[in-house]
Amino acid sequence: MKRSLVRVLASAAAIAVCGQMAAAEGKLNLYNWGDYINPELIDAFGKEFGVEVTLDTYSTNEEMLARIQAGASGYDLVWPSVHMHDIMQQLGLLQPAHPNQMPGWENIDPAALRSKEDPNGDYCLPYAWGAVGIFYNKKLIPEVKGWTDFFAYAKANPGKITMLDDLRETLGVGLIMTGASVNSRDPDEISRAEEYISEQVPNIGAFRYDVIALVTAGDIAAGHYYVGAVLNALQDPENLGFVIPEEGATMYQEDICLLANAPNVDNAKLFMQFMLRPENAAKNAERLTNGTVNLAAIELLPENLRTNPSINPTPEVRAKLQIFDDLGKDLRLYTKAWDRIKTN
Amino acid sequence: MRGKRFRPWSALLNGYGLLFLAFLYLPLGLIVVYSFNANPINMAEWTGFTLDWYATIFRGASTEGNFDAAFTESPERIFGVIRNSFLVALCAASVATVIGTATAIALARYRFFGKRFYQALLLLPMLVPDIVLGIALLIFFVGAGIELGLMTIIIGHITFLSSYVFVVVSARLAGMDTTLEQASADLGAGPLTTFRRVTLPQIMPGVVGGFLLAFIISLDDVVITYFIAGVGSQTLPLFILAMMRRGLRPQITALAVLILLFSLTVASIGLILRNRKS
Amino acid sequence: MTRKRNALLLLLAPISLILGIFFLIPLGIVVVYSFLEPGLYGGVEWTWYPYNYGRILGWPLNDYEEFDPIYLAIFATSLKYAFLTVLFSLLICYPAAFWVSRRSARWKGFVLFLITLPFFTSLLIRIYAWLLLLRPTGFINAGLEYLSLISQPLDLLFSGFAVVLGMVYIFTPFMFLPIYANVEKLDYSLIRASQDLGANPAQTFFRIILPLTAPGMIAGSIIVFIPALGNFIVPAFLGGAKVQMTGNLIERSFLQSRDWPFGSALALLIMASVVLVLMVQTIRAGRKQAGDAA
Repeated sequence: MKRSLVRVLASAAAIAVCGQMAAAEGKLNLYNWGDYINPELIDAFGKEFGVEVTLDTYSTNEEMLARIQAGASGYDLVWPSVHMHDIMQQLGLLQPAHPNQMPGWENIDPAALRSKEDPNGDYCLPYAWGAVGIFYNKKLIPEVKGWTDFFAYAKANPGKITMLDDLRETLGVGLIMTGASVNSRDPDEISRAEEYISEQVPNIGAFRYDVIALVTAGDIAAGHYYVGAVLNALQDPENLGFVIPEEGATMYQEDICLLANAPNVDNAKLFMQFMLRPENAAKNAERLTNGTVNLAAIELLPENLRTNPSINPTPEVRAKLQIFDDLGKDLRLYTKAWDRIKTN
Repeated sequence: MRGKRFRPWSALLNGYGLLFLAFLYLPLGLIVVYSFNANPINMAEWTGFTLDWYATIFRGASTEGNFDAAFTESPERIFGVIRNSFLVALCAASVATVIGTATAIALARYRFFGKRFYQALLLLPMLVPDIVLGIALLIFFVGAGIELGLMTIIIGHITFLSSYVFVVVSARLAGMDTTLEQASADLGAGPLTTFRRVTLPQIMPGVVGGFLLAFIISLDDVVITYFIAGVGSQTLPLFILAMMRRGLRPQITALAVLILLFSLTVASIGLILRNRKS
Repeated sequence: MTRKRNALLLLLAPISLILGIFFLIPLGIVVVYSFLEPGLYGGVEWTWYPYNYGRILGWPLNDYEEFDPIYLAIFATSLKYAFLTVLFSLLICYPAAFWVSRRSARWKGFVLFLITLPFFTSLLIRIYAWLLLLRPTGFINAGLEYLSLISQPLDLLFSGFAVVLGMVYIFTPFMFLPIYANVEKLDYSLIRASQDLGANPAQTFFRIILPLTAPGMIAGSIIVFIPALGNFIVPAFLGGAKVQMTGNLIERSFLQSRDWPFGSALALLIMASVVLVLMVQTIRAGRKQAGDAA
């Protein structure tokens, strides 16, 4: 009798453990890109408001969208790129958080309201922006000004450069170099861009995201990478550099958005307010080494970041940066081009 | 005396055998060595002994100075991930052990219509490529409106782990003598009593072996879990996958060594138990 | 009788439920999806759409596209790498199986333990180890440079070579164990008889040893071929995403290009190849059994 009681208890405990589901108060579930928020801020927010913050990460907008659509709710805030912000808003996956009524909104750069669906900031809070350029090891390639240098070096040293494993970013470079918009829907333009990249493929070592360690150690000389690499370049300026290519480049911007079925709406809004504080925006920009959309935060940045031409580019350089739009069905033009590029 | 004529080959074969073992162990050994290398940039170049990479796992990185430490995940996060992995492995392996054992007994001890169908069906989950099963489950859960999370991972794992347990327990049952079971039944014991007192003790090594195998496979599953994981349900392999995607960092090697140690311990215990038995 | 029947039902109910609901139905849905139109932002439109298969065959999707069987080419690459993986695993494991089978009983257990042990460690970590070994500043290149055998690091990583090597490494136990089980049962008297009858070593090997160990080799080859064909992790890491296999396309269809039906169709292509291999093997084994019986 006693033994069977123990057994019943044990199985009950097992079921309780297995069936344990997160449902508590004082929580906030973030779903962000990898390495895309200063972890100190998460700690600070948690301590200040007594909220338990969880952070999961994704590596592409599409991965995030797929999981959110897959009913992976439970998340409160996501960090879509602007074009994905538009898509998600159209699909009804977001709810208005009204960051434009929060204290500190006046510091947000009006130019950062890039979303077509959300021109007044009723839904999402612009988060950060940056250019996508070239991160390079000066010991192997002393100077890079742009894509021409980048590919010329690769021609002389095949396999020593990498590009991003992202169809729009990498085809985007092809479009820029063939004089087209990175949002082209013209099959001829896209096929010219494909041709341009295809010609480089034999010299490209790999399509990868994990470029920092490879460039730093000298496995490769230069990699197509986000401005966040400036963090590493500043740690070892003798050997490492980052440049926004003179021919032009793509740029990204992410917005913080509140999901329609977010379980912790109040905490999510608190988090937006927290991120609106200039000192927090500055702390974040310092760690991410990318552009902040908070004008007051720029003043708080250390001198070397504020004057860094990659982080805070001149208006002339900014004019050459292009941001992605949602292409809807026409994305498939890019998909096949990309599949062909990688099959060479 | 046998094989005396092979003697000239013997030395060659021995040399080859050692090379084979070296091929298996050299990469793992190097990871262990690398994990103590202080050089944060180039792990192949030895610059000194350090335990820092281990320390960052347990303590979190100090944000100052330490190269690349800026984004090392907090220890709470790593422990949360490890907890998820064990929870999934424990639940999935336990349920799969019960289901797999029941199925093995049914197929070994009963004759019924459709037996061959079951035998084929049970092999399928092991033969379907991981990626196919992963996306099939993803589509299914999404379509059925089941929220992705630990529960979906556990269910997903049970589907293929049951087959593994079935195979291991079946092997044990096949080599088992049924006279004892018959004797027990003849002496008037009910099927349940017979099962508990006679069958179960005899197949126990198979059941335990099946459970351990299922546990280890679950703990290491990447592909299927990758597609059906949801909020806050990241497991250790997914965590490592995400870390590897973002770059080669010495912290990964330290974590790798800890995982190595753990799985080697479990595997050793399992294999030693099995060897003692036979 | 009914009691026995009830017991059987009880024993079979859980597996039937699990495999029925979470295995057969999902696979069925994949089949259905592969004939539907992709939704704009993931998911599907419920319209009949056979072009996913057309696309695999290279059919142009729009009027400005040309016939281009690129996806068949990628599938062919997957087949090639899977075959190479099987081939090299065989070459590596075959002699090793003989080596182990000729150890004394005490050593045998220990060596077998050593060989299966890496199988129990994380797959990702085993791949990661090769990433560290093969990278241009990795151990192998550093070693070769130290020995002055090369002056420029070799491009070992991010190549088809690295992909095959990585897959051979992670699948070694799958190939080794079936071959070993077979070699262990090898009847040495046949070998001696062959030698006594004056056969040279090559003849003995090709006429006696190879046919006798073929079942283990075939079993091992199938067990390695299946996961190699659908693999996407190894090409992603060791191939630098430049080496593409069908598995990578499937992953991208679901998690990047939002084309679930196309991914489903590709998954079924892999599935069909696996089923084909298994069927050939079953028929072959059946015929052999019949032949043995006759």
